[in-house]
Amino acid sequence: MSASTVTVPAVGAPARDRTDRTGWWKVVPFVVIALVAVVGPFLLPYDPTRVVASASVPPGGDHWFGTDSAGLDVFSRVVAATRLNLLIAGLVTVLATLIGALVGILIGMNESRRGPLGLAARGLSRLVDLADAVPAIVLGLVVISFFGATAPTIVVCLAVILSPIQIRLIRTEVLRVRAEAYLDAARIAGVGEARLTFRHVMPNSVSAAWENTSVVFAVSIIVTAALGFVGVGMPPPTPEWGAMLSRGAPDAVAGRWWSATFPAAALALAVGAFALAASEVLRRRRR
Amino acid sequence: MVRQRWWATRVAMLPAHLLVFVVLTFILVRAMPGDPVLVLLGQNYTPQAYAALQADLGLAGSLPEQLVGYVVNLVQLDLGQSLMTGREVVAEFAQRLPGTLELAMCALAISALVSCLVAYVVVLHPRNPVSATVRAYARAAGAIPEYVLAVAGLIVFYAALGWAPAPVGRLDIQILPPPRVTGFPLLDAVLAGNVEAAGSIVSHLVLPVGVMVLAQSALLIKLWVAGLEDAIDDPVTRFRVASGASRAAVVLSVYRRAAPPVITMTGTLFGYLVGGAVVMEGLFGFNGMGQYAVDAVNSGDFIALQGFLLVVAAMSLVVFLVVDIVNMLVDPRRRPGVRVEES
Repeated sequence: MSASTVTVPAVGAPARDRTDRTGWWKVVPFVVIALVAVVGPFLLPYDPTRVVASASVPPGGDHWFGTDSAGLDVFSRVVAATRLNLLIAGLVTVLATLIGALVGILIGMNESRRGPLGLAARGLSRLVDLADAVPAIVLGLVVISFFGATAPTIVVCLAVILSPIQIRLIRTEVLRVRAEAYLDAARIAGVGEARLTFRHVMPNSVSAAWENTSVVFAVSIIVTAALGFVGVGMPPPTPEWGAMLSRGAPDAVAGRWWSATFPAAALALAVGAFALAASEVLRRRRR
Repeated sequence: MVRQRWWATRVAMLPAHLLVFVVLTFILVRAMPGDPVLVLLGQNYTPQAYAALQADLGLAGSLPEQLVGYVVNLVQLDLGQSLMTGREVVAEFAQRLPGTLELAMCALAISALVSCLVAYVVVLHPRNPVSATVRAYARAAGAIPEYVLAVAGLIVFYAALGWAPAPVGRLDIQILPPPRVTGFPLLDAVLAGNVEAAGSIVSHLVLPVGVMVLAQSALLIKLWVAGLEDAIDDPVTRFRVASGASRAAVVLSVYRRAAPPVITMTGTLFGYLVGGAVVMEGLFGFNGMGQYAVDAVNSGDFIALQGFLLVVAAMSLVVFLVVDIVNMLVDPRRRPGVRVEES
């Protein structure tokens, strides 16, 4: 199996230039969205899970984004969904990177060994490659429907499904770090294998995966919303962008554009704002 | 014989890879919380009915026995009977898979073609204003998912402009579907020489395929541009130019050297496109695999879902096999047993 591996040049010690003030604005859109996620739910004009007006009211003074085909306020739901969607995506990213670090180091440190441990590590490495061959949305659809669509299962399932990207990145880095002289020096100094792995190998091999978190975050936002879109996500009337989008789609086709357009725009804005912010943060780290 | 080993060993690995997924789906179904047999029986619970249904679903006996029974059934292409309709899952897939595949394949072919051409313009005419636009677009690769673009497309091209047909199926309602030969709707219409049906199918495919190409081809463009820019500066290219090769031969050689990563990505893209097709089928009223899977989720039909996962996995594995073989054809250094210095 050959799958594409993203190789990111290794970064040295991050030297931050505090006088660099260009590009700070690139972080602003994401900070605004994160603020909306944190404080938004306290400032809603209407209850996002209740019928508050007649169905399909166009955007206007009372309902800024109009109401959907069931009479729920679109603005309140878009804002309320921000927290859920960002929270799920954020947790998935953290968990996938943790799994990636653990499994990646396990595979990287053991795969060249003889005996059952090496065999197991090589087998696991193949398994990761194979699991990555199946589209994440298909795997997510099946696994989440088996284990039930609640926020915790969605987070755990998606984290496991998206972890192969991180596992592969970290494994590659571990293989590079393993050959470094300072590991031999530490071994000669009598450092145990476990301590060696966590004190010396891990800090030196996670940078590529850390830089890749922006990709994982974007993918997990998109996949979470895709699950909601096909109707496998959180049960209605939970405010969630994907589910809102799919329920608004028939309205949109009938010419009532607002109930689908606003969640779609929120989704695109969140992904775009995070990518912009991440590229700026990483640019600063890299120098 | 020895000469053919490079592809034969790769092909021989396919059943082993498939077996991994068979075991994986097997474990997944057994790891499901709750007892599916009890849930299915509900009010009709009797010990006899329980035992009978358990045996029916292949959930009776020890785990190794269950696994052997499962594999034996799979070898005979038996994925079991759907819990929601009682129909054979294989028969259901045979009917629905071609439509989904056709959608994904159309998008894949057009993405491959478009990215190839666009990358040519970007790399060989860097000062062209089109190139700057394409570069900016390629940088944003995958930022907006296809289902968002699809909803936007429907609002603009169907609701506002009225150019796209209504998203309620693959064909206009008044047109009779062509006789089923291959199962691929468009191919069947073409084979039957039914211009009206073929035209209608194409007009229904334009929006979903266009949306998928727009959302996903940026990935390929990015890789092509990076690869071509590297390959064009290579001494090999200078040697070809200096030795008086024609422009076409030089360009072909540059493309060949840049191709392997793009070919690998095309395989990955196939997976993304199948996922995209699964998500978008409901939106366009296409009655394909995705719609079936969503219905199966809503009725808790784990037999159908297990089959769905296996079929998609098998498809992805076959595509990766093709990708590996094409890569080994394009670049013989990638064949096993050939050692290359890592650059």
